Amino acid sequence: MGLKVPFVTSYLSEHFADDSTVGIEGYERRGGYAAARKALTQMTPEAVIELVKSSGLQGRGGAGFLAGLKWSFMPKGSDKPKYLVCNADESEPGSFKDRILLERGPHQMLEGILIAAWATGAEKTFVYVRGEYAFPADVLERAVGEARAKGYLGPKVMGTAFSHEIVVARGAGAYICGEETGLLESLEGKKGQPRKKPPFPAQYGAFGQPTTVNNVETFSHVPHIVKNGAEWFRGFGTEKSPGTTIFGVSGQVRKPGLYELPLGTPLEEIVMRHAGGPLPGRAVKGVIPGGMSMPILPASQLDTRMANEFLRERKSMLGTGGIMVMDDTTCMVRVACVITYFFRDESCGQCTQCREGTGWLHKIVSRIERGAGQQADLDVLLDVAAKMEGSTICAFADAAAWPVQGLLRHFRSDFEAHLREQKCPFPESFEL
Amino acid sequence: MPKITVDGRELEVAAGRTLLQALDDAGLLMNGVDVPHYCWHPKLSIDGSCRLCQVEIEGQPKLQIACNTIVADGMVVHTTTPRVQTAREGVMELLLVNHPLDCPICDQAGECKLQDYAFEYGVTESRTREPRRALKKRVDLGPTIVFDQERCILCRRCVRFCREIPGSGELTVQNRGDRSVIETFPGEALDNPYSMNVADICPVGALTTKDFRFKIRVWFLEDVPGICTGCARGCNIHLGVANNKVYRYVPRRNDAVNETWICDAGRMSYQRIGAPDRLEQPLVRGALPVLEVASGEAAIAAAAAKLSQTLARHGAGSIAGLASPHATNEDLFQLRRVLGGLGAGLAGVAVVRGESDAILVHAEKAANAAGARALGYPDAAPLVEAIRAGRVKGLIALGHDVLDAAQLDAAAAFAGLEALVVLDSHRSELERAAHVLLPARVAAEKRGTLVNCDGRVQRVVPAVEPAFDARDEGEWLQQLGARLGLAGFSDAAGYDARAVSRELAKSVAAFVGCDYDAVGLAGKPLADAAPAQAGVPAPGARA
Amino acid sequence: MISAETRAKIDAEIARYPVKRGALLAALHHVQAELGHVSLETAAEVAALFEIRPNEVLEVVSFYNMFFDSPQPRHHVYVCTNLPCSLRGARGLLRELEAHVGSHAGEPTADGRLVLGHEECLGACAYAPMMRVDGSYHENLDVGTAKGILDALE
Repeated sequence: MGLKVPFVTSYLSEHFADDSTVGIEGYERRGGYAAARKALTQMTPEAVIELVKSSGLQGRGGAGFLAGLKWSFMPKGSDKPKYLVCNADESEPGSFKDRILLERGPHQMLEGILIAAWATGAEKTFVYVRGEYAFPADVLERAVGEARAKGYLGPKVMGTAFSHEIVVARGAGAYICGEETGLLESLEGKKGQPRKKPPFPAQYGAFGQPTTVNNVETFSHVPHIVKNGAEWFRGFGTEKSPGTTIFGVSGQVRKPGLYELPLGTPLEEIVMRHAGGPLPGRAVKGVIPGGMSMPILPASQLDTRMANEFLRERKSMLGTGGIMVMDDTTCMVRVACVITYFFRDESCGQCTQCREGTGWLHKIVSRIERGAGQQADLDVLLDVAAKMEGSTICAFADAAAWPVQGLLRHFRSDFEAHLREQKCPFPESFEL
Repeated sequence: MPKITVDGRELEVAAGRTLLQALDDAGLLMNGVDVPHYCWHPKLSIDGSCRLCQVEIEGQPKLQIACNTIVADGMVVHTTTPRVQTAREGVMELLLVNHPLDCPICDQAGECKLQDYAFEYGVTESRTREPRRALKKRVDLGPTIVFDQERCILCRRCVRFCREIPGSGELTVQNRGDRSVIETFPGEALDNPYSMNVADICPVGALTTKDFRFKIRVWFLEDVPGICTGCARGCNIHLGVANNKVYRYVPRRNDAVNETWICDAGRMSYQRIGAPDRLEQPLVRGALPVLEVASGEAAIAAAAAKLSQTLARHGAGSIAGLASPHATNEDLFQLRRVLGGLGAGLAGVAVVRGESDAILVHAEKAANAAGARALGYPDAAPLVEAIRAGRVKGLIALGHDVLDAAQLDAAAAFAGLEALVVLDSHRSELERAAHVLLPARVAAEKRGTLVNCDGRVQRVVPAVEPAFDARDEGEWLQQLGARLGLAGFSDAAGYDARAVSRELAKSVAAFVGCDYDAVGLAGKPLADAAPAQAGVPAPGARA
Repeated sequence: MISAETRAKIDAEIARYPVKRGALLAALHHVQAELGHVSLETAAEVAALFEIRPNEVLEVVSFYNMFFDSPQPRHHVYVCTNLPCSLRGARGLLRELEAHVGSHAGEPTADGRLVLGHEECLGACAYAPMMRVDGSYHENLDVGTAKGILDALE
């Protein structure tokens, strides 16, 4: 299913071409699990946390929170069981990097989890895989079985006094379960409705116990950091955003696919050079850089470097590195329809602004698309988006507001054309 | 204790409280400091979803919800800034995007928090041009509640209430996003002894009671503070009165008694006030052995005559008094005075007992059994025995609980009485044996005090006037005492229950400082609660 | 009625979680694999197993896309119609498939064989257009291939 190897690889994915590394034998033959052994037998938990902190590894799930810092929030010692959760709920439109990491690099992730467990004192990890990822979850369960059989999971991990278990939990189709505390609720067998914060997961997490939640890719970087050191890791990417990430390029490009590249790579390089640029006869119109929640960038800003510190200057973010390319046949109002429909569908419904706002945004945008819009609608869209930001239980409402703001910021003319002509002015645009 | 500043006012608050709790503790919430809110309720778990209670806290870049922010020493809070105002407008406008324009046909109008806050904190014009969500408008949720799904603002108070207070959890939110809807399990009803509370806590007209539906506009109702008389809990209520009629009871908050709740049976007990079995006229058994309507004065004369005869023939020891657990302390104190003036022997109080629960419902199905006990009335069993044995010949009986409590056949048990004078609000089998019946007022029609199961003295005021000649028992007894020529009884001036109350508080040690005026709207514990508990059957026992 | 075999699977799931209820989603997946959907009776049965109220089971069923509270056709065919897929013709593909089977998305075919539907992003953005048929992905589709896949479903 799909490609087995990214078009451009680096330390995370360069071994994906070798089918045997999906299994533990092949993985170990290439040096796998040596880092975990090093951490568990030669390093203290504190030292591991310090190492990951100094590496500057940012979470790769979209929020970009420093991983080492997050691990340090877990209470030391403690009579309560502590848990890790691996967020494998990847549902951000445009993102499919965690999928390949699960399908082709399950042991790499498991090794990272083991190291993190050692560092945080967690006794169990729940890997929450989105329900639709049946095949990747199967691959993962096989890998977990292999690791257990080899004594890398269970009462005496690698012969040490440390014990750890991994449970693969499957979701059932709800984007909001990718939100940290929505995931925890779902893991507990409830609706995936995010929790009020405080308390944060390190105080009250899975089943009420101290918990750290990290993304699939975040864990996958960890063995490499332990094996090669923080300096080595900082050799990739930028000072503020070290390491690589696996960018997913999709949409109207010649070579859609996965590209593992250092953070800070210019968007233009990824889209135009690696992914081959737009389809024949077309020009790039806009690019969403980090998954559908992140505001769109116009073609004129393709020089943006793909790291948070640069994207923020352009009023967008890295998110999950899901790069979606739209060319000059594309109607941005139709894009807005697709986007607002998604957020309306996936809102959990708790907070007033999100529940009602996502619905209202979609209804207005649809009406504009149909040709029944009015000038005042554009102001309402921006005002509603502003009122959805910054004041809800979780960031979903912000994620729903940002794309609308981005589209109106850079492609207001598409909307005004719909208002003026009372129909879509892009005859070749994708169908709705 | 942490000190915080809210809108420039310094407050000392209990540690560990949220901002809303702290303001509520201080009696300031929506009463000096306005923090409008929907999903928060002082007696339910914190929800945090309506987002209306956002406030500005110095040092925090984002607005915070006051319902989930724990107070910290030195916290400075602003509730009236432009940012807060904009946030409120945002929430209000978004709530009104789908909310149906039902005000003209909605029961909640006039006591609707959506109306109130939209007016106070919302935008003046709606900008939506989209069709509203279309859902079911008259869902029969169960025996007591009707649910309009379109009006629901998903504050989830009702869901939390059912889970946390009666513990029955009938309601859940199904689906997600703007398709969310509150439902019971198909085929299951919202049916618990506290179900009607959901209509109180619902900020809008989504949940309304079948009992009150379309009866009257709330702005016609006067809210009279009172006490429910369904059981000994004495839940504080407001009686909703218009046209000299009680249309409904709603709970009145008293954290020492019922918090913000009332049981359905108690809420519905207002129906007893205007019930068809009210005793509406004085009745006297004349020469023909049937009861005939008489004037109040004639009835008093007949009662006095009958009691005097019995007194002369059999002596003071043959006269007894039966107290009603429904009458006020003032009424019962008057009875004590009459019995004392007559030199009477026995007295007692009987109270009907029934089911109880761990929440509010008490086994004693009358509001003032504790008051009767505190006034020295023992259990009625010895008295009933004495009546059966023929040692009691004359009885002044208030109420008829004794029939059910002791499972008596009135005609048989009281056949031997030569003088049975009954003062009662409702008719009963006592008519078979009574010689005189005097119509009494119920609590909603009189001024006086009642003692609840915890020994708390609470007061009632007249919310309605009976359409017939019913009087306080205390007033009938005043006239009877005067007619009997007892010292200290005069029927010259009108009956003043407050004066009786003051007299009572001076004479009975347990009631010191607990007269009608002193107990106020919130009530006050007895000076000595022990007498109120004397002779109370063990929990679970039935008489 | 949930079979003993499924009950055993549920028990095994429950053993993996520190709190029983954690296994609820897994249990519902197993139950649905056997019975096709979660009826009211099944919801009550599951509720009893987990010592929660039947309404709480329904809450969960209604929240998640992959759980159904009504009888389902034999196959679910979901075409992703999110943004990257729509940019590469996913919606046109879906319309072709609707015409091919003679049913609109959301309406089961008359023979109860399958139902077409939209789905949100499935994590196959570079391999658009694509669809999920029950537990399998079919990517890099053209109309002909897609029709063939549908025809092969029984």
